[in-house]
Amino acid sequence: MTAAPSTLPLRIRERARTTPDAVAMRDKNFGIWEQTTWAEYWQTAELVGHGLLALGVGVGDRVAVHAENRREWLFSDIGIVAVRAATVGLYPTNPPPEVLHLLRDSGSKVLIAEDQEQLDKALEISDELPGLEHIVYIEPRGIRGHYTDERLIFWDDFLTLGAEHQQQHPGAVAELAESAQPEDLATLIYTSGTTGPPKGAMLTMDNIEFAIERFAEEGAFFDPPATDRDLMVSYLPLCHVAERAFTTWLNAAVGTQVNFAESVETVQTALREVQPSIVFGVPRIWEKIVAGIHIRMSGASRLKRLVFGASMKAADWIGDTLVANQGRHTLLTRIVYLIFWVICFRALRERLGLRNARYTASGAAPIAPEVLKFFMGIGVRMHEVYGMTENSAFATANLPGRVRLGTVGQAHPGVEIRVDESTGEILTRSRGSFAGYWNRPDATAETLDAEGWLHTGDVGEMVEGTHLKITDRLKDIIITAGGKNISPSEIENSLKASPYIKEAVVIGDGRKYLTALIGIEMDTVGDWAQQRRLAFTTYRDLSFKPEVIELIQGVVDATNEKFAQVETIKQFRMLPKELDHDEGELTATQKVKRSAVEKQFAAEIDSMYTNRVPEGAAQ
Amino acid sequence: MTAAPQITNKVHTGSKRPRPPRGRPKLRTSYAQDMALLNTPAKRWSTLLLVVIGFCAPLLFTDDLLQVLTLGLFAAIGAIGLNLVSGYAGQVSLGHAFFMGLGAYTAAVLGGDSEGRLVGFGLPIYIWLPAAGLVAAAAGLLIGPLAVRLRGLYLAIVTLGVVFLGLHLFREANHLTGGPGVGRRAPDLEIFGINFSASGGIPGLDWTRDQQLLVVAIVFLIIFGVAARNIARSGVGRAFSSIRDRDVAAAVIGVDLTGHKVLAFGLSSFYAGAGGALYYTVVRIIEPTGFDLLLSVQFLAMVLIGGVATISGAIMGAIFITALGRIAIEIAHVVPFVSTSVAGGGLLNIFQLEGILYGLLIIGFLIAEPRGLYGIWIRIRNYWKGWPFSY
Repeated sequence: MTAAPSTLPLRIRERARTTPDAVAMRDKNFGIWEQTTWAEYWQTAELVGHGLLALGVGVGDRVAVHAENRREWLFSDIGIVAVRAATVGLYPTNPPPEVLHLLRDSGSKVLIAEDQEQLDKALEISDELPGLEHIVYIEPRGIRGHYTDERLIFWDDFLTLGAEHQQQHPGAVAELAESAQPEDLATLIYTSGTTGPPKGAMLTMDNIEFAIERFAEEGAFFDPPATDRDLMVSYLPLCHVAERAFTTWLNAAVGTQVNFAESVETVQTALREVQPSIVFGVPRIWEKIVAGIHIRMSGASRLKRLVFGASMKAADWIGDTLVANQGRHTLLTRIVYLIFWVICFRALRERLGLRNARYTASGAAPIAPEVLKFFMGIGVRMHEVYGMTENSAFATANLPGRVRLGTVGQAHPGVEIRVDESTGEILTRSRGSFAGYWNRPDATAETLDAEGWLHTGDVGEMVEGTHLKITDRLKDIIITAGGKNISPSEIENSLKASPYIKEAVVIGDGRKYLTALIGIEMDTVGDWAQQRRLAFTTYRDLSFKPEVIELIQGVVDATNEKFAQVETIKQFRMLPKELDHDEGELTATQKVKRSAVEKQFAAEIDSMYTNRVPEGAAQ
Repeated sequence: MTAAPQITNKVHTGSKRPRPPRGRPKLRTSYAQDMALLNTPAKRWSTLLLVVIGFCAPLLFTDDLLQVLTLGLFAAIGAIGLNLVSGYAGQVSLGHAFFMGLGAYTAAVLGGDSEGRLVGFGLPIYIWLPAAGLVAAAAGLLIGPLAVRLRGLYLAIVTLGVVFLGLHLFREANHLTGGPGVGRRAPDLEIFGINFSASGGIPGLDWTRDQQLLVVAIVFLIIFGVAARNIARSGVGRAFSSIRDRDVAAAVIGVDLTGHKVLAFGLSSFYAGAGGALYYTVVRIIEPTGFDLLLSVQFLAMVLIGGVATISGAIMGAIFITALGRIAIEIAHVVPFVSTSVAGGGLLNIFQLEGILYGLLIIGFLIAEPRGLYGIWIRIRNYWKGWPFSY
């Protein structure tokens, strides 16, 4: 494979050569979107590569990046891959024990840490990491002049080191980048680990190239295809495969302009300023946007509420029609949409930052169809997509004009999908299938079979022969004492579609009936309580207010109506606290770790199956 | 590493700075965009629309209305000046009438003909207009140092003294001002050889004097207004605001109090002088007793009712106050007990009604909408800006 292999770093270099002055990305600092051109992108990435060589990083070594989304993340990623090392991404929210696990498991030689917060996590556990030789820090505040650890090196000094190395060995990085092999390890992406410690999925250069080619060709995701005039906002963690695909890979594939917000807190503002044309979000983000709209509307003036109410009725109807029409407009929906576009949708979409959004997608976790329908109704073309780390994020997608609500869409070109006859498990096979789990041949053997089929761990079925519908995670399927197979996530998502509910965990495996633990959405319920002049102090206090329990009961009742008798929630309890990553109840991607929750709230769960006390009144 | 390099993560920049993408006005890639006068498409379009309407106005309204509008626009130049010193820099000035008078007479002396006992030089507008501003500014610079020593009410009373001094001067300098009850003619507005003060002055167009003057007024107001906006958003303008908000704190952060207060009076007086000169080209006769306290109060009313520390507010206020006389006449037509002449019967005449309206409006605005007409506009704008939300 020596015939002009195209790889991620070489693609960046090519763009730097052909369009050096075009914008590759923007980073907002002190209120100004600082633009980085393709030439600057490649030059800096090359310096990072030289710097890594100077620090003794060799082919096949691992380099960890522990930062929020920012330019330096991409510079580092490309620089690392260019010298044929592998990038290991860490979640900014990872607590020290997880940082230890990830750094030790990956055997990272160099860590690029964003600031004092991330650096402290690494230093706290660095005694147990003999393999960690250097730590590069990007933000010097609180570090320079305060820390004496000799492994530390400031980003600018690191680049200067790279520049010196470049002078002594010009072209060393480019040579390495050109000699890259398709089977080279490019990145370790750690799974979120809902069931055990995170496992590092190995993605090769060829896996990434497969993803990039899918992005660049017509018919995958976008219609018309994405170009360098498309804008994105990068805000989900870059160590997750979905954001990496939509930020780094899509950017390299077609030259979309990536925009980084100042911080996670300012993403809403960033969206409004950038008005991205392509938006990828996880269900939690979309649910939060819908909840946010309802909170803000409840505080609006009477006339505005009236207009909004009418607009939502129209959006409902448009959404229904679109769903029935695979996402295509009819003449009548176009007319109705135009009217409400003038009086509401245009402004609403502008406030949300979705005015120019021509393609939006939801993925990485199941989402309630109601949420998708809401966005379709207000004119945002929403598509549910499906993919996972192990197949480089590319499996299926709802294509524009061929949307089937409730399914995750059709297989991408080059991806084979099969549903296992006996277990109902979804199997995929493509060039994007990963090379295995790092240091875990046992787990690899369970996931990748001899014929190259990837066992996704998801249960599903084909709808109309083309669209894939996912029922649930194989491990999450509840089998009640009565022997019924029930998919909890469908029920949970239906509950979470209510703006008042943030978390819902359905329980019932081996039990007589289904129950649920429900966590409220503090913002909306708090707002709701304030309007009723209901005084409250903490999350816990608010959760156990009889009025709130009644409110949630209403949502549960409404959900129960949609499901069969065996799938109804007979009892529920409020969660006394918000689930948290630091306490191990959520993964870094905010997914619920069922086992941890069931263990932590065992008393509440038991109370729902033993004595039938009044609903929610435990404690 | 002893010499600490500069703490920055900036990538060295390329030669060409790419333009921000189209259709995203909020995506700012430089502070210059952020501070631009017309930094949103809405502002650009509405400004363009206003200017177009303004230039079409001569064809849309009758001459008497056009004259009111023209007076309003020229008064706006004076009001902008008062807003610079009182609104932006927070130095209350009741002496605005004096500076306007100074400007008006400077223009009349330099631009007017030498007729009989009156001194006149017959110079063109390129001389008399700047001179009107500069003479007034020079007087303002003399008053300025007083503001350094005095604040608030005391400053107001001192500037009030200036008005009375001025009245006396204008009365006594007969050979310059024509004396009380007589006055003198204002110069003609003649630019590029076109006499806008005479009907049919623009070749090829059969326009009346009022139609022509309105066009001139719009052009001058744009020039003076844009200049004032630029002063207000520059370092000088920010220094003014800091002095207004807290002069001690401003001094602590390094604002030169003396210099800026004097500068504020100088700039304001320049605007007053130029505005006065232009205003009286429409009125035609400059009568020395007209530059009394009432005129100063009228200008304060323009600023307060229009909107303190805003240029567009000053313009709105000036047009509104100038039109008040006209409004009073319209009311007199509807309400039976108001007569339209001083001698006429009835409870009130229109001049008294106008005075009462001033009072009521100032009281009403200060209580209900301290930000003036501009504040009302901001409310309306924010209502739509948040649509469909309220916040």
